[in-house]
This record gives sequence, structure tokens and C-alpha cells, in this order.
Amino acid sequence: MKLNLYVLTPKRIIWDCEVKEIILSTNSGQIGVLPNHAPINTAVDMGPLRIRLLNDQWLTAVLWSGFARIVNNEIIILGNDAELGSDIDPEEAQKALEIAEANLSKAEGTKDLGEAKLALRRARIRIEAVNWIPPSN
Amino acid sequence: MSCSHLSTAWSSSALASTSTRRRASTGSSSSLVVRCSLRDLRNRIDSVRNTQKITEAMKLVAAAKVRRAQEAVVSSRPFSEALVEVLYNMNQEIQSEDIDLPLTRQRAVKRVAIVVLTGERGLCGAFNNNVLKKAEARMEDLRQLGVDYTVISVGKKGNAYFQRRDYIPTERFLELAGIPTVKDSQAICDLIYSLFVAEEVDKVELVYSKFVNLVRSDPIIQTLLPMSPKGEICDVNGICVDATEDELFKLTTKEGKLTVEREKIKIEMQPFSPVVQFEQDPVQILDALLPLYLNSQILRALQESLASELAARMSAMSSATDNAIDLRKNLSMVYNRRRQAKITGEILEIVAGADALSG
Repeated sequence: MKLNLYVLTPKRIIWDCEVKEIILSTNSGQIGVLPNHAPINTAVDMGPLRIRLLNDQWLTAVLWSGFARIVNNEIIILGNDAELGSDIDPEEAQKALEIAEANLSKAEGTKDLGEAKLALRRARIRIEAVNWIPPSN
Repeated sequence: MSCSHLSTAWSSSALASTSTRRRASTGSSSSLVVRCSLRDLRNRIDSVRNTQKITEAMKLVAAAKVRRAQEAVVSSRPFSEALVEVLYNMNQEIQSEDIDLPLTRQRAVKRVAIVVLTGERGLCGAFNNNVLKKAEARMEDLRQLGVDYTVISVGKKGNAYFQRRDYIPTERFLELAGIPTVKDSQAICDLIYSLFVAEEVDKVELVYSKFVNLVRSDPIIQTLLPMSPKGEICDVNGICVDATEDELFKLTTKEGKLTVEREKIKIEMQPFSPVVQFEQDPVQILDALLPLYLNSQILRALQESLASELAARMSAMSSATDNAIDLRKNLSMVYNRRRQAKITGEILEIVAGADALSG
């Protein structure tokens, strides 16, 4: 059994292919989805999306919040933006993380602080996605 | 070096005139009075030729850009289709539940935010003016109803217009560069979201040009917030437009001319399965879904507005080119006549001189 995974953004189709398994970051924690999953609707939090391809290789993508619907072995993930892990430059991500940390320490006022925290979180997720080591099985 | 003695019909207005005025001016071409030297006339013809080349090039550029704008619409289609489908299914599933979301809350309207989408550049006929006129009319309506309003202007042309008019309260001026992206629509989305949730405004309306075809676009007003929880698009009067019908415009060439086909596509709805569970509270899920929907609405409007602008520029530039061609033709005719007359005069003088010597 396979899963059909579609990751759609207004800009383009990020992913449209069959996969074996995914791990999705939802608002209530990470969930693993295998074929014949119960049909659910869920809000997607910003975080990594792990994809196990048909050849058992793992891939990572980053989702910036959105919505997912799993019905009949078909997963539709809708988001305003998403990136594939392979499109992220590790050095750039590291730099962005340092900048975000520096900004956070400088930030004043609730609005600035909120924005800085969000930027830091985004930077951390990117790093996490790039440095993730897939489970060996 | 321009030829300032040309009759008024051939002043600069002839270039920018509409086709009706052009017809009127070609009608009077026989009585064209030109009072200037041949050299000036030649310069004038050259400058008209240059103008014609420029307008021709601008027309082609606009045509190429329409095509790119159309590609952007096409590439966002899978997303918007899936979104409409998901929203439709969600509605079926949550109809029985009592949902209270900040984005759908109807309040007594005290203050309205009007988002006005205009173009970044001019030379596109009445495109920008039409949108601004529509916005002005809406503001007048609101004034008469005694409702306060504030403007969020998107696009350089609108910004310039509102900056010149101090008496119109404006919230923010935004600019776009090139083809609208999710980032652009997100900026607008975030702004109106925070205004609405903070209860600074009780309603958000969007004024933009809806793309009808290459020669026509209609300025329309659409209500963005509060949303109906079913995700329907409403016009100002609260009449719902069916969200499941989506239109796609296609630029094609027909007998060497650019034409537009507008396709209406009815999105197929899958039979809905009643067993779908909600991982979180339905409110939380809608909270994730509706901003996505709002964003795609705004992106769509931005894309339509850009397509209308480019189409308007195309037709404005093509009539400007036609005018320039007409003008050049008439001016060359006058020039050739004058040149011929001058040569005839010179020959007459020579012959007369020769006659005088021999006789």
C-alpha cells in the first residue's frame, strides 16, 4: 500500500508523488501517517515534514503552517509556503540562526520580541530539517 | 525642436487620444494647416516615428507580461482548487457545530478598511482612474451612511493619489514589484487581519479591477472580512458568489491577433465521507484554514489586477501606435507636398531666369 502525498502552495506544487510514510508536525504534536490511516483533518504547525520514499529513503521538507487532510490514502497538505530540505543551504541557515539570536537579544517591546522569537523559531526549524539524521532500519 | 506652429488638432493630445478622437482628427486631415519650416516638419515626423516605436515596444512588453501573469495564475490553480474542495468538505462536516471564529465574527460596522489595488505604472489608459473612482464612490457612500473608513493603498499610482489628498485617512501604503507573490498577499493579509482582530475596523473591503478580457476590466468591490464561515465570496451587498466556480483566462493568438478566452471551470466535488475526524478542535482547524483562504483570495485579486493593468496598457499602447501612424502619414503627406511645391518653385525660378538670359 502506498500513500499519495500532495504538498500544494499558491506558488507551485512542492510535492506530488507516492510515498510510504510521512511524519507531520501538527498543532497537537507530530503524527506519523502510514497507509490506511483513519481519515482526519488537521491544522499543520510550522515544522519539519519527514517523507519516506518508496525506496525507503527519507527526505525532509519544511512547512510554515497550514492544513492537512488525509482521506483514502491521499494526503493533501495546503500551506502558504514550504521548502524542500534539499533547497536549504546549511551555511545560510546557520547564519540566519545567528542573526535571529542576535535580534532576539536586542528586541524591545512585545511586537518586536514576538517577531524576533518567530524568526528564531523559523531559523531553528530550518537547521533541524537540514541536520536531521534519518532513522536506520 | 518641436514644431509649435502645428494646428491644435495635431498637438500632443492626438497621441494619447482615444480612437473616437482619432477618427475625428483623421477626418479633418485634409484641412491640416501647418505653419512651420520644412526642417521643423522633418524633426516632427522623426519624433512621431520614435514615439510610435516606443509605444509599439511597450505594447509587446505588456503582451509578454500578460502571458507571465497568466502562468502565475495557472501555477496557483492546484492550490486554490484543493483549498475550495477542502473548505467545501469542512463545511459539510461542521455544519452542526457552533463555531465562533474571530475572522467570521459579524460586528456593528463603525469603521471600514478599504484595500485599493492599483497599478505600479501609468500609461495604461483609464485603468488606475477607474479603480480610484470606484473607491471614491464607495467612500462617499460610507460618508453618507456615517461610517468611518480608512484606506490601505496597494500600488504606486494609488499611493500617489492618496498621498496628495490629506483629507482621506490612510492606514498604510504598500508597493509591489513584478508578479504578485504569496509574500505580497501575506503582507496585506497580516495587516488587515491585525486591524480586524484588534477591532480597529469592523469590515474590510477590497476594491480592484476584475479581468474580463483584454479590452475590458471591471472595477469591483469585494468584502474580505468578516468572512462567512462557509468560505463564500460575497460582494458588498452580501450576495454570495459561488466559490466553487473558478474562472481561468487564457491568452491565445487567433489569426495573428492576441485574444483572450475565459474558461469557467466547475470544480468537481468528491462525494464527502462522513467519517473524517478532526485531529484538533474544529475551531483550531478553521483557524488554520481561513487565513489560507483569505490569502489566496488576496493573491487572486492581485493577479487579476495585474492582468487588467497589463491588458489596459496593451490596448492603450496599441491605440497610441495607431495614432502615431496616422499622424506620421498625414505629416509626411504635408511634408512631401511642401517639398514638391518648393522644388516646383525653384524650377520655375530657374526656367524664368534662363528665359530672361536667353531672351
